[in-house]
Amino acid sequence: MIISRDSSQDLNPPSNKVYSDIARVSHPLGEGRGKGHIEHLLHTNPHLWRGCNLAGQGSHGRSTGFPQLDAILPGQGWPTKGLMEIVSPYWGMGELQLLIPLMRSIVELGQWILWISPPYLLYAPALVQAGINTEQVLVVRLDTSCKDALWSMEKALQTETCGLVLAWQNWLPSKVLRRLQLAADTGNTLGVIFKHHDSKHSPSPIRLQIKDSPHATGFNEAEITLVKARGNFRPLSTQLNLYQHFQQPA
Amino acid sequence: MEDPDSLNQLSLPALPPATSARIIPLPKSALATASVGTRLPAVAPGSKLAAITALNKLRPTLWYALQFPQLADCPQPRQQKILNELAALALAVSATVSFHPLALVCEIRSSLNYFGGIDAIHDKLKQSITLHLVESGLPDSFLYAASPTVTGSLLLARSGHNAVVYRKDNLRSALGQLPTSVLELNKEQNRRLYNMGVRHLRDIWRLPGDGLRKRFGSEFINLLHKAVGTAPEPTFNYLPPPAFVTCYDLPFEIENLDRLLPVTDEMLAQLCDFLRRRDLSTSQLLFSLLHEKRASTPVAIGLRQPSRSREHLLMLLETHFTHLSIPAPVTAVRLEVKKFDACMSHSDALLLADNSISSSSSSSCNNYNDSHLNQFIEQLQARLGEHHVKRITSVAEHCPEYACEHLDYTEATTPGNHRTSRNHPVALNPRPLWLLIEPLRLIVKAGKLYHRKPVTIVHGPERIETHWWSGHDVRRDYYIARESTGSRLWIYREKTGVRNWYLHGFFA
Repeated sequence: MIISRDSSQDLNPPSNKVYSDIARVSHPLGEGRGKGHIEHLLHTNPHLWRGCNLAGQGSHGRSTGFPQLDAILPGQGWPTKGLMEIVSPYWGMGELQLLIPLMRSIVELGQWILWISPPYLLYAPALVQAGINTEQVLVVRLDTSCKDALWSMEKALQTETCGLVLAWQNWLPSKVLRRLQLAADTGNTLGVIFKHHDSKHSPSPIRLQIKDSPHATGFNEAEITLVKARGNFRPLSTQLNLYQHFQQPA
Repeated sequence: MEDPDSLNQLSLPALPPATSARIIPLPKSALATASVGTRLPAVAPGSKLAAITALNKLRPTLWYALQFPQLADCPQPRQQKILNELAALALAVSATVSFHPLALVCEIRSSLNYFGGIDAIHDKLKQSITLHLVESGLPDSFLYAASPTVTGSLLLARSGHNAVVYRKDNLRSALGQLPTSVLELNKEQNRRLYNMGVRHLRDIWRLPGDGLRKRFGSEFINLLHKAVGTAPEPTFNYLPPPAFVTCYDLPFEIENLDRLLPVTDEMLAQLCDFLRRRDLSTSQLLFSLLHEKRASTPVAIGLRQPSRSREHLLMLLETHFTHLSIPAPVTAVRLEVKKFDACMSHSDALLLADNSISSSSSSSCNNYNDSHLNQFIEQLQARLGEHHVKRITSVAEHCPEYACEHLDYTEATTPGNHRTSRNHPVALNPRPLWLLIEPLRLIVKAGKLYHRKPVTIVHGPERIETHWWSGHDVRRDYYIARESTGSRLWIYREKTGVRNWYLHGFFA
């Protein structure tokens, strides 16, 4: 504990110095103005963060619809582009409920949602209940081969009309993930991969894990752990009422 | 063949002979295009007419009319189809083939020398035309005549004279022999002509023009003028449908399909040039990869929206190639396009959609993105197969397994399909996002429900009783349950029979 505190104190001054150097280069007029500039950059640029801070800095993300989750995610929301992994040990733990508000906003923007080989039949009445227009939903059937599914995912991520690409793939080599990440960056698209097991060295910028809440009292509670996020250096977790948008039976 | 030129001529006032002194100076190229009947580029209709009249004066023409009275019994679309096919045959002897009711007329003056006289032309045509008529199941006879005017030839052919009139000066007397019935007037006009004592066309020649115009209308007079060549005769010419076929022999055999791409790119460039020049686009391409001593491998590319973009077509072809296996090395590539569409260009919105209003104008946003999306879906379908890309809709149905439909993308977007209509209202009770195609039977052990782990019921029941009329009666009590792993399940219990428990979905 003490060591980490010391090290952080040691680390802080040089890092500040570096920042102020940058500020001086870009803004020779004054340091105060430069600091403001850095704050602005930190808030808007997802590639820039302070290593010493906890999550929640900047506001370049898209709101998740869950305030507690926004608070722990970098950029206060889902990233607008890139790759994300959601680890759910079993299907049906609310892994899709996490994304329902995002899907709704994407459909409202006129973009499409592509579901690549989902494990079960996607059920349209549930989407309609969640307020998602199924006319902008496209499903690639389950029986497509893994290679074809990945190919479709890459193509979809490169296409700007697809706002969100969802895929179910349990084990992907990091080379493939990097390629998908690159495709998502070019297409300005968000790709989500659902899997059963967490792989520690995955290059995806965000990895979330859903766990059954140990002290869950009702139907809705689940524990979400942010295993990894660019801009965070320690796992954070929160309790969420996942089914809040869901028409809860009385 | 009976030659009406030799018949005794009537004392009609001779027409002023076509003098070569009154040539209207027109660029030669324009005349040339008019003579082959291709479309003149952006010339006002008046000036085109002038060009044709001038052409008639400049060069004597001979129109060969083919009348097919047997077509009168066919329905209109079939008539048009057969005439089209016959016109394609007539192109063998003439560059200008025009359509008329139950008849075709081709200009043969310009090809008279080449074929060596009208008899040779007639023999050449007769053979192919009778063969085609027999193949179509029609009587193989037809009437024909040739004269310096289109209408004159038609009238002669209609009368069954099978005559040839070479000189315009003789046309009037030759037509004079014909009965008035060839004019195909209405009953009232026929009666009036009969009452006036007019039996033949020569009787009409004797009558004063302005009186006739008053009694029979200017259309009638116009027809007569056309027949003797004193009025211009615009015609609808037959244009053969476009077709694009190109073949490239490879200098060496190629086994790796990727190495074919530069060749096919070149062919597609030719195709796109062809399409651009004719302002067309295409939605069906057929590549054939030819092999030595083997049947060729066809690669058919279908497009959701007609296109003439080389990059797009090449990308689709590349996608097709990734899944293709060839039985032998490729020796030649052939590209054939038979189906063409009019080119529909896409216009962008004048104002870019603002972010603040984008939610309300999502439909316009859709249109803007449509072409991108279509290209993407075409690519997906090319790689995965038509039936692997689905759209979903909800259906107004009580029975859960029928309340959702997965449609092929093509099927769902076909206009006029009733199922494309917006989503139907759905049940008010919560429905799961995942549905199992086959419900999974749950185990009951010591009074407790098990899936993989113990299951506890959270909410329910919701009773669904339906489909008693279709034979497979659905009587179920649905519950929302929670497995001890944390999964939210949608389970039901049969109301009839053994009353088993089933898992039907996941609230993912």
